[in-house]
Amino acid sequence: MLGTLWRRLRLLVSRDRAMRELEEEMRLHRELRAEALHRQGHAAGEARSEAARRFGHTVRLAEDSRDAWGWGTADAFWQDVRYAGRRLRQRPGFTGAIIGILALGTGATTAMFSAVDAAFLRPLPFAQPDQLMTLRRVNIPSELRMDRPVPPIRSLDIDHVREMRDVFSHVAAYASGGLNLVDPQRPRRVKAGVVSGDFFSTLGVQAVVGRAIVAADGVPDAPKVVVLSWRLWQTDFGGRDVVGTTIPLNTARYEVIGVMPRGFSFPSESDLWIPMSIPVTAATFEPFRGYLPSTVIARTAPGITRAIAEARLRTAWERVVAAVPREPGRRMSVDETLDVVRAEGATTPLRADLVGDRRRALLVLFATTALLLVIACANVTNLLLSYGASRARELALRTVLGATRVRLVRQLLAESVMLASCGAAVGIIIAPFVLQVLRTLMPAQLAGVAPVQLDLRVLAFATLLAVGTGILFGLWPAFGATRGSAVATIKAGGGHGASAGGARRSQRLLVGAELALAGVMLVGAGLMLRSFERLVNTDTGLVAEHVATLEMSFLRGVPQEQRLERLDRILTELRRLPGVVAAGAVNDLPLRGGGGIGISVKVDGAPPAASEEFPRYLVASDGYFEAMGIALRRGRYFSPTDGTGSASSVAIISQSMAEAFWPGRDAVGRTFLFGGDGPPVEVVGVVADVRESGLEEDPGPQMYFPARTNLDANVALVVRGTSGPADLLPALSRAVRSVDPAQPVYNVRMMDEVIGKSMAARRANTVLIGLFGLLALLIAALGVYAVTANAVAQRSREFGIRAALGATRSDLAWHVGGEMAVVVSVGVATGAALAWVASRAMAGLVYGVTVHDIGTFVTAPVMLALAAVAATAVPARRAMRVQPVEVMRSE
Amino acid sequence: MREEIPPGTLDMLILKTLARSPSELHGFEIAEAIAAFSGRVFLVEEGSLYPALQRMLVQGWIAGDWGRTDDNRRARYYRVTAGGRRQLDRAVKAYGRVTRAIAGILELSPMEA
Repeated sequence: MLGTLWRRLRLLVSRDRAMRELEEEMRLHRELRAEALHRQGHAAGEARSEAARRFGHTVRLAEDSRDAWGWGTADAFWQDVRYAGRRLRQRPGFTGAIIGILALGTGATTAMFSAVDAAFLRPLPFAQPDQLMTLRRVNIPSELRMDRPVPPIRSLDIDHVREMRDVFSHVAAYASGGLNLVDPQRPRRVKAGVVSGDFFSTLGVQAVVGRAIVAADGVPDAPKVVVLSWRLWQTDFGGRDVVGTTIPLNTARYEVIGVMPRGFSFPSESDLWIPMSIPVTAATFEPFRGYLPSTVIARTAPGITRAIAEARLRTAWERVVAAVPREPGRRMSVDETLDVVRAEGATTPLRADLVGDRRRALLVLFATTALLLVIACANVTNLLLSYGASRARELALRTVLGATRVRLVRQLLAESVMLASCGAAVGIIIAPFVLQVLRTLMPAQLAGVAPVQLDLRVLAFATLLAVGTGILFGLWPAFGATRGSAVATIKAGGGHGASAGGARRSQRLLVGAELALAGVMLVGAGLMLRSFERLVNTDTGLVAEHVATLEMSFLRGVPQEQRLERLDRILTELRRLPGVVAAGAVNDLPLRGGGGIGISVKVDGAPPAASEEFPRYLVASDGYFEAMGIALRRGRYFSPTDGTGSASSVAIISQSMAEAFWPGRDAVGRTFLFGGDGPPVEVVGVVADVRESGLEEDPGPQMYFPARTNLDANVALVVRGTSGPADLLPALSRAVRSVDPAQPVYNVRMMDEVIGKSMAARRANTVLIGLFGLLALLIAALGVYAVTANAVAQRSREFGIRAALGATRSDLAWHVGGEMAVVVSVGVATGAALAWVASRAMAGLVYGVTVHDIGTFVTAPVMLALAAVAATAVPARRAMRVQPVEVMRSE
Repeated sequence: MREEIPPGTLDMLILKTLARSPSELHGFEIAEAIAAFSGRVFLVEEGSLYPALQRMLVQGWIAGDWGRTDDNRRARYYRVTAGGRRQLDRAVKAYGRVTRAIAGILELSPMEA
């Protein structure tokens, strides 16, 4: 046995020599036979042919011999591959076009797969991630001491959930915010996860160095500790032993207690984690503008399904809401919360929560790339069909020479799989560029746990894709080309036979399908582009041009008086600068992302609102509205004296708030109660609504309080200038430094950039869908071109005869064009109809237009039809120029 | 009247030919020898010898070395190995059993029919 294997291996290694020796042997045999026959009296030529006849089919015998070496399959495979390579090299233009088309299809699909893999498929790096869920709207009790009283929130508390021990084995809370890592050489901003004491045990993740945050760290007044991410530990601390040392974050020192494993940085790419105490105290959120939106997660107890957990939580919600004391006839915020819980459920699987509203965008984009790939494959099938028709003669010849149909099909498939592999290889080079755009679209929450990457899984996917598509688009042409009688094909002169007509029918079908799918994609692209256009033209309520901004957090131990004094000096400094029109400050920069606070207010004598309103709480200095370009509707802007003396309790409100509380009346001069029972606040001005939380979200009611009484540690400076960013941005930072050189600043940027960033995800989505739609258009047009050109080439004889019989040039052009006109109109119309149905999937992705936007449904098909007509025109002109004499001569 | 060589017996014929030849033989000589010994009854597609030879080389039943013919042409000369003789023995016995069985059926068949 071993001997046999050894001999096979030797043959494999020296198979070229073995092949030569075998051929020599067989040649000698034929020579000797011919000589013997010659001696017996046959003529020399006759003897040779008789010897060959007796010997048999040399090529087949050589193949059988090779089979005897036991490497038959592999051997035939390599032969097929080499043959395919040779064939493809002979037609570089054809090969290049196919590889290019496939590369676009596979590249886009591969990149998209890596995104989908990260978002939906790859398991989260937590223990039993399926047991983890986010609990919607569960409240975390707090002992926040704010400057103004806040009404108690009546809601399901995290403590209620913790008592449900039989349902949840772990319950934890987390939030995410930015901190200054104070360092005289390199002060920088880090992302901090603010996590309750049971956060890490809930996720089932342990520290690799030291320990993680535990329950004892998550109580009020516990010592300040910090856990580092592996990445921060490596880049900023050189992987040294840091446990037990302290690091300065914002204004306090935190003791390092541990390092988390590599690749773990949940939530939101956290660089480090600090404890959140429950109940939340002012100390917890003091470094984060006094507030961070927090999320509650839980792990189900063994044997508890999500359905059970969901049912138990709903019951708990109903009980809490029923117990809330209420005024008759008035809906409260807790009622809305209950509505949301009833409609959307009390729980969300953790992964679904992290993917969030990007789910639809990603799935639509994935469907788009899949469509692009299908169109690419259809087009390659198409090209191979025209190629197959023109090589029918070659295949027929090889059949006659003894090649079996299976072998021919295998060879043709080797060609298509090879094309697909080359396409996929080039596609993998393209994929990272697509991925670069895609990254912007990925849910930010996922970045820390499931980063998008081109890894082995993705490579395996691309390989499967290559083989799969290769077989998919190769099978049809391969069977088509090897069907039919070899003799008939050779007699017909190749390429004019019945099989060529069959190929043309298939081609028309494919092109129709390509056009229909491209139509669907173009409509999708059109809807995205229209939405984007609407979004760009949305009235933000502010004028972003020439506005520079900067964010900063005052250092510890700076009391409000001193903060105000410094802010005044900075603003004065800025206003002195030539080229600065206005300067001001605000607590929350519009559209920067991150939550704001809504606080309930009560209006004396106002009609009881249908539901409790929570106008957004904003703090602005004088000069802010002028600097941000927020239009004044009534009354006045803040003056430098607002917030002092007699004007201590004044506010400027947004138009929406004025309409909500004083419908049809002038709000200026009226008063409302802050927090429902606070001191009365007088409205001195009404300004335009400003989009705060997102460009696509309608601004709710907003109220601005003067900075002089309400300034907290975090402020954004806003400066309107006459010059460009090159002058404004450095001037802004310089002004802060001139007042306090030690003050760290961050996010120094133009307001345009802030808005741009808030649109980044939609822009990426629009760019990709638009790009893919354009590619689909081009590929489909190429398909139309290929089919028409093929038809013209194959029917040149017929056209020659028609021309000879007196058909005019335009007759011929119409003959070609008319045939394609049917294909194009059916394809485009089908595409529009499909798009009408499919565009429903884009509900929630469009903005400012409906998914059945008439303009798009007219423009996209027209564009597609025009492209198809243009693609038909070139070969049709060639048909017009057919010279009867030349055609006859070439036959 | 020429007959096709019964399937599966070509290996056996080649081995037998090589085993009783006093000297090593090249391919053409093997073909001629089979034809001569069979009284020219067998029609051998002569080329089919070569896949069989390759198969048996791989199996280790025969060995082949390049040498020179009488008129000084390069040829591969084959000889049977010890393993080949054992295989020949097995094949002949198996063949005997099969032919006896077939003969038995053929004798019975007229009465059955």
